[in-house]
Amino acid sequence: MEGPKVQLFVTCLVDALAPEVGRATVDALEKAGCVVEFPDGQACCGQPAFNVGLVGEARKMAEHTLDVLDETEGRVVIPSGSCAVMIAHHYADLFEGTSRQEQARRVADRVRELTQYLVDDLDSSVRARCDGCTVAYHYSCHGLRELGLDHQADRLLDATARAELDGAKECCGFGGLFSIEMPAVSEAIMKDKLDRVEASGADVLVGSDVSCLLHMEGGLRRRGSKVEVRHIAELIGGGS
Amino acid sequence: MERDAFLTRVGRASLTSKLPDPPAVTPELPEPDETDLQALFRSRAQMVNAVVHGPVSRHGVPRAVVAIATGHGATSFISWDDLPASGVASALQTAGLEKIDHVVPAENRVEHNLTYADVDIGITGAAAGLAESGSVVLVHGEGRPRTASLVPEVHIALLDVESLDRTLAHWAHKNPTLPGETTNLVLVTGPSRTGDIEQELNLGVHGPRHVHIVMIR
Amino acid sequence: MSQPVTFLSRAEALIGTHEADAVGTGVRNFLAMRERSVEVFPLIEMLRDRARAIRLHSLNHLDRLLAHFADQVEATGGRVHWASDAEEASQIAADILQRAECRSVVKSKSMVSEEIELNDHLESLGFDVVETDLGEFIAQLAGDTPSHIIAPVLHMTRRDVGELFADKLGVPFTDDPFELNRIARVHLRDVFLEADAGISGVNMAVAESGSIVLVTNEGNGRLVTTVPRVHIALMGMERIVSRWEDAAVVLETLARSATGQHLSVYTNVVTGPRREDDPDGPEELHVIVVDNGRSRILAGETAEILACIRCGACLNACPVFRTSGGHAYGTVYSGPFGSIVTPGLYGMDPWWDLPYASTLCGACEEVCPVRIQIPRMLLELRKQAASEGRLPGWLEWGMSRYAKTTVDPSKWARAKRWASWLIAPLSSGGWVRRLPGPGRGWTTSRDFPRPARESFAEWWRSNRGA
Repeated sequence: MEGPKVQLFVTCLVDALAPEVGRATVDALEKAGCVVEFPDGQACCGQPAFNVGLVGEARKMAEHTLDVLDETEGRVVIPSGSCAVMIAHHYADLFEGTSRQEQARRVADRVRELTQYLVDDLDSSVRARCDGCTVAYHYSCHGLRELGLDHQADRLLDATARAELDGAKECCGFGGLFSIEMPAVSEAIMKDKLDRVEASGADVLVGSDVSCLLHMEGGLRRRGSKVEVRHIAELIGGGS
Repeated sequence: MERDAFLTRVGRASLTSKLPDPPAVTPELPEPDETDLQALFRSRAQMVNAVVHGPVSRHGVPRAVVAIATGHGATSFISWDDLPASGVASALQTAGLEKIDHVVPAENRVEHNLTYADVDIGITGAAAGLAESGSVVLVHGEGRPRTASLVPEVHIALLDVESLDRTLAHWAHKNPTLPGETTNLVLVTGPSRTGDIEQELNLGVHGPRHVHIVMIR
Repeated sequence: MSQPVTFLSRAEALIGTHEADAVGTGVRNFLAMRERSVEVFPLIEMLRDRARAIRLHSLNHLDRLLAHFADQVEATGGRVHWASDAEEASQIAADILQRAECRSVVKSKSMVSEEIELNDHLESLGFDVVETDLGEFIAQLAGDTPSHIIAPVLHMTRRDVGELFADKLGVPFTDDPFELNRIARVHLRDVFLEADAGISGVNMAVAESGSIVLVTNEGNGRLVTTVPRVHIALMGMERIVSRWEDAAVVLETLARSATGQHLSVYTNVVTGPRREDDPDGPEELHVIVVDNGRSRILAGETAEILACIRCGACLNACPVFRTSGGHAYGTVYSGPFGSIVTPGLYGMDPWWDLPYASTLCGACEEVCPVRIQIPRMLLELRKQAASEGRLPGWLEWGMSRYAKTTVDPSKWARAKRWASWLIAPLSSGGWVRRLPGPGRGWTTSRDFPRPARESFAEWWRSNRGA
């Protein structure tokens, strides 16, 4: 019997910079019994423009995204809390009082972040695995505070050896374009975070948002750290 | 600016205000769960470095106050006239402490201020106690100077256990018009303190360094 | 030497200094203390909702509440003065002091007084003004400005204070905070008792009774409002609630959010000047209600920021504040609150960049006692800044190109291939150590991943069908 059909919105960062996370997400969803589809023509939800205040550009990208997703049915699963929040919460602001208001609401209602979908919707038995390693988990801000992602990853990681990460729920300092508009501040916040990651004794830093992870991985590499960085999907799906 | 012009500008601004809708709240403040108010009060008052005595009987109060005063080596005191137990001032005088007058005259104010600058002890009553924070409520007025709980290094507050309430919010709800009835209502929650230097807590900055609360049953 | 004009340049000068490190440690302590107090007092969540409802109600009915408040103050023998802006507020204070023949003034903490630069004005007119809040007293002695609204000299060490006291007060050097506090107490005791006038702030005004509530820990707030014969209270016009029980609910959230205390040591509720039978208290009470741009904020998209009760929790929770410190924000109001209120009071020139000094992490909203939607308002201000053309050219151009590219599937596919091809020579082992142009901002502290040879979309097409 076929499981639920889901539409994967893979995000622009994963598509261009971290496709292995996309492949792992497909694996993870298939392991959980889903049939995964990939709506053609998808690219960016518009968050980078929205967050700097360029709402006109954000709206263009959002309209395109709405049209791509509205051609499809079923849950839209996204391996990123911040992109999920953009579509699920901020599209309503962008299109309030316009002809796309209803479409935005319709698509927003279908959106789920990956760990939210696996745990809250499917109550899936899939688990993250990291044999012979200890894992520290970073809770990305948008997912944590705007989607309530405070327990889903913990459930998925309950079969791993977990290192306690001081300040796990504190911001990593990425903040979108903030990372290049205010580089010294972004770096200072990152330093606090990475000091704590290294102090945790973990072998692998895990998260659910590639934006945060690329920033932290870039920083860890720059300081010559041995800590590896993975998206949680990679520990569930195993990649291909 | 004239009042009308000021308020008109505010009123006009309100017309275009983008304020979110307020959250839904119950009309009445929910009651707190049952608890031993005396025990909670004692614990919270001690946490803010007040010393809690008793409960003692009304008769036993003067003795308790004299013990505290002599324990501090005090030689002078200011007191409220109207205290929940009688005989306190006379007991202190009998024990050799000097009673300082507390009514500040309109003339020679500074001169008077300086005479009580060195008073050792201030004694007040308390209109209520707030258990959650370990606070005492002081209602000032005739015969009840503010300076008694402010200028001396030691403040002794006499508190009826009957007047304990759970939180400020609940107590204020039961006493909605109290502020208007007095020039000065003060909640005292432990001795004066600061953490301004490297967040290290120190007591007795400008207000009293010692707060004693004598509970009366 | 002119002050650096951008948040970034101020922050760059402060990050990594011992001042910023002290602030970083200090705010983490405040946050931990707040956490503990919230844990032992589960009623707090319900009280936060009520406090939010109360403050929003006040903002919705502000002119009516202020009118009622003023009537009540006057009925109890006090005077209310209305100051349209900073200069007027300072001038009114000076006039009151002059008419009452006051020369020496003691001050307890008032953010409004710093906002309007009251001390400078009074001192220029020959009044003798002494700050009595310990942190403010230290800052005043040092000729410095506060770096945190609750803990003004969070950025100074005990050694700094010891050296300052030895230098300015002529006392032997000590760096023991207990001793330093005693020195301040002794020095200020006579100053209090001899002062002609006391100037305070107002934490919350109560319209129904014409009362003002002031909270302090040190006792200076009570001394300042009890001992001198004239009391002047400076009040931001938005700091008001209808009733005493409303004020009580707000007070339940204030100290817990600020420092984790259940209540501040002194909650001081003043209603009018000394009455006939009172044994002590000031002969005159004046309340100066200050606008200074608040009505402009009230009229706009960021009106909600006026619900703020000045607890400082948002500063403590903010990763940007924690690393850069309060002085990076350029005015007396710092942190997430300052990022919204400063452009609100003074306009977008030059403050448009303050709303961008944020990762939008939302930690501020999470700890705000009245649940102010700070990130929403930061985005509103960013929208305004962008529409005014304040963003750098490369960002506007880049985003426009990016949008055009991503909405066209063949352009997007091509762009990904080009990016991979272009960045390949800059990379080694899949990572780039140095990017050109705005990308330099990334690579000064981080490696950047080389874009994949095969994008996810290409992989899907090749392996999973069209």
